[in-house]
Amino acid sequence: MNRIRIFLARVRGLFLKRRLERELDDEIRSHLEMQIEENLHQGMSTAEARYAALRKFGGVDQVKEVYREERSLLGVETLLRDLRYGFRMLRRSPGITAVAILSLGLGIGANTALFTVVDAVLLKTLPVEAPEQLIIFEWQAGRPFRMSGMSGTSNVDVPPNMRGLSLFRYDVFEKMQQARTADSPLSDLFAFGPIREMNARVGEEAEIIDGQGVSGVYYSALRLQPSLGRVITEEDNQLSAPPVVVLSDRYWQERFGANPSVIGQQLILNKQAFTIIGVTPPAFTGTLQVDYQPAVTIPLALEPLLRGENSRLGTVKRPGVWWLNLMGRLKPGATAEQAQQSLNSAFQSAALEAMPPPRKADQPAQLDPKDYPRLLTESGSRGMQDRRKSYAPTIYGLFIVVALVLLIACANLANLLLARATLRRPEISVRLAVGAGRWRLMRQLLTESLLLAVLGGALGVFFAFWGKGALVAMTNRDTGLLPSGVDLNLNWRVLVFTLLVSLTTALVFGLVPAWRATSLDLTTALKHSRRMTSGASRLSKGLLVVQVALSALLLAGAGLFLRTLYNLDHVNLGFNQNNLLVFKLQPQQGGYKDERLVKFYQQLFEKFDHLPGVQSATFARVELIAADNWFNDFLLPGEQKETAPEHETMRQMVRENYFATMEIPFLRGRQFTAKDDQHAPRVAIVNETFARNFFPGAEVLGQRIRFTDDKGEVEIVGVVADTKYERQREDIKPLFYTPWQQEGDTIGTMSFALRTTGEPAALVTAVRQAVRELDSNMPVTEVSTQTARAHATLGKERLYARLLSFFGMLALLLAAIGLFGVLAHSVSQRTNEIGIRMAFGARMSNILRLVIWQGMKLVLFGLAVGAACGYGLKRLAASGIFGLDNWQRPMGDLLYGVNATDPLTLITIGLLLTSVALIACWIPARRAAKVDPLVALRYE
Amino acid sequence: MAEKQEVLPGTLNLLVLKTLATLGPLHGYGIARRIEQVSGDLLELNQGTIYPALLKLEQLGWIRSKWSVSENNRRAKYYSLTAAGRKQLVEEEEEWHRTSLIVNRFLNPAESKT
Repeated sequence: MNRIRIFLARVRGLFLKRRLERELDDEIRSHLEMQIEENLHQGMSTAEARYAALRKFGGVDQVKEVYREERSLLGVETLLRDLRYGFRMLRRSPGITAVAILSLGLGIGANTALFTVVDAVLLKTLPVEAPEQLIIFEWQAGRPFRMSGMSGTSNVDVPPNMRGLSLFRYDVFEKMQQARTADSPLSDLFAFGPIREMNARVGEEAEIIDGQGVSGVYYSALRLQPSLGRVITEEDNQLSAPPVVVLSDRYWQERFGANPSVIGQQLILNKQAFTIIGVTPPAFTGTLQVDYQPAVTIPLALEPLLRGENSRLGTVKRPGVWWLNLMGRLKPGATAEQAQQSLNSAFQSAALEAMPPPRKADQPAQLDPKDYPRLLTESGSRGMQDRRKSYAPTIYGLFIVVALVLLIACANLANLLLARATLRRPEISVRLAVGAGRWRLMRQLLTESLLLAVLGGALGVFFAFWGKGALVAMTNRDTGLLPSGVDLNLNWRVLVFTLLVSLTTALVFGLVPAWRATSLDLTTALKHSRRMTSGASRLSKGLLVVQVALSALLLAGAGLFLRTLYNLDHVNLGFNQNNLLVFKLQPQQGGYKDERLVKFYQQLFEKFDHLPGVQSATFARVELIAADNWFNDFLLPGEQKETAPEHETMRQMVRENYFATMEIPFLRGRQFTAKDDQHAPRVAIVNETFARNFFPGAEVLGQRIRFTDDKGEVEIVGVVADTKYERQREDIKPLFYTPWQQEGDTIGTMSFALRTTGEPAALVTAVRQAVRELDSNMPVTEVSTQTARAHATLGKERLYARLLSFFGMLALLLAAIGLFGVLAHSVSQRTNEIGIRMAFGARMSNILRLVIWQGMKLVLFGLAVGAACGYGLKRLAASGIFGLDNWQRPMGDLLYGVNATDPLTLITIGLLLTSVALIACWIPARRAAKVDPLVALRYE
Repeated sequence: MAEKQEVLPGTLNLLVLKTLATLGPLHGYGIARRIEQVSGDLLELNQGTIYPALLKLEQLGWIRSKWSVSENNRRAKYYSLTAAGRKQLVEEEEEWHRTSLIVNRFLNPAESKT
């Protein structure tokens, strides 16, 4: 208790320092005066009285010292004093300080910004109660295990000869649910899955939104409370129950203006009416997949209402599909192993039951028990991990780049501080000589670094906040680089991270200079002789070399990506991508099918063909250069399903004028016509690669093939030139075109392409109008131009190029500043030497050459080191030492049309670096050459 | 004359408190002089050491200080006991007595038997 009192009093003393000090002075003075007075009374002389009083008092300074120690918290006081001193020192050289804080700010800011991404994507746990109790279910089976169909993404680590999936089938899930008993280690088991691209209508407005279906206990298992209304329960999760829907907070804000009276309103999804019962809180993005934010959530059992015959739950005609994610909440004290064991046998028997009969001769009807499917578990505190894991390599790669830049900034500052330390050598040596502890001095110097780092960190947080816009661009859906819609904000984790980074940089760039500065041989230092110094120390030079090497690496990367981008932008696509307006329609969501659908499209084309400004209108199932695809197995003539080897081709379904509109050269045979409809014999057109691959040397026209899953033969009647299909960088694949009217029930979303006479964007309103005239509830989605679409497909490459260029230039700038600083300092140290040289007849040009060569030596060495590192890295990545699952795409895969060791790029970068370095060397060199030898020699 | 003793650290507190209790509010010089007088110059005391001691006592809340004017019209800081200080004094006096009693018993075993 007393200790606390004293502590508090000392804190108070910290603030009242000056007053208390003054008071003590007054007290002592008055004490002495009183003693002197008494002494005078006793008959001493004035001098004697004073002397006696002082002697009786004891040492005044000692008393003051003891008093000072007790008065306040000494450690804090010292720190404050050091800080004040540090501030003064920094203010003395404002230029250097500003550059230091700015470069630190940029370095730390970039790291902080990236960390917000890491935090949001990889680290943040779900905003639900006790997320550590949640587990994810996955499974693995031997390769021979068959599934009736799969939909979704999955990323499960399994041994190489097994297959693993995090997706389940609805009936398998139901059987697992039934197998749970009262003493199950799980308190809840729930399933959920995405339902994409639903036609949603509120009042008169229709649009396409993404949603999800959840099982009855989803919300109660997550212990999630709605922010408005109520959430889905077991009762709602039955086909017989009235259809209900829960809105995400974002959808509620955007579409309903956060109006609280939405509860009870109707929302029409795919022509079915659902009643809105609630809204989820803002922190909950609605699902457990990091890159999927569904606008609405419905009970899983109602999924057939939306997808009809295509229901993934399984219909009488078709078995269900493996598409659901499964999670559970453990009871307190239960383990994931227990949960896995309790459900494994139920899962296994259900999965085996769900296995479809073998499709090929070499597939066994019965499975070997070693290939049986087995349940696995994973922690679910962060939600589904599949997508998260796939973003990890990119994020870590970016982190490395950003960390490198920070290191360069640190090296700069270390050099700056080293230089300044040598300038302060006289002061420091005097201090050491009068007995200041070395540790004490180091602490003071470190405080300065700390100050710089903290200021840099604060600036960095500011930059990171400001640069959030850039981050959001990185999470743009188009680049696919980072999950879109992720909530990036500066929370305490981020701030703690920034603080740690700042402190570490302070240590890193402050420790060595401080150590160096205080490890002086006092006799030589006090002699104050400048001739002793040799300019830049080996440490400085080493740091510079490292800086140059790192900058070279970054810039080389940037150069390679820029070339890749250029190559990809200019690749020959095989069709004319200019002036093409593209968009999508999904009439099936509006209930169109069969005859109605065909008629709808025909009427639509009537309108499009006659729109002013439209040269030609067409559509296709797959949009080109948009990362979309469609492929099938097929059988060549004479092959049987059971015995044939696998042939696969990309597919396309087009309108008759497709090739003319897209300007794809038609080579031979005949084109599709309106007569190739559902009553006519089935025909197809193939591209050259298809003809070459599957009918080498023979005439492909007239050949018939069959698709493995359907009815009848298709005759090939024409051949067109090759085009790129999915993306610019891929190889040409065999492509099989069929006329749309013959595809009947597989017509899905169609991608329209309108060749316009002028700017495609000008026709958007006309197109929307035309669609609205036919059906006011049909939204026109993904409106863009072909060039923009192709552009977007290169989003990732463009981003890499941009980032590496930015950071590369930043690194170069920092390195140049560092080089300038070191040389300038070296010159000022070597003034004597230069004077002597000049006195012995050296001319200005000699001096210039001397200094410049001193600098360029380092730069060239740095380039060599950088080149060696780059080569080493390439070998390392290629040797797969990091394992495929972490570094799935070694550098070579990311580039296009250019080798990782491309000489042109490397030479250009080398030249760039060298010229910048020359400029950085030039200025101090000029200053050196201007030295007046008389002044130099005289000045010691 | 007997050898001068150094002041044990804890006892200075007791002396100061007792002095203030006996004489009422007093400035630092007065307290130091009083201790000198009462101990009959048996104590080796640098007068200055009273001030850190007074600071400590004030931090503990057993005395309080106030600037005032002395008899000779001189500005001085006067110290006085707080209620807590009074209590502390009583406790310390008791403890001192107890300690000396025990030590006495050891040093003079014959006396204790009676």
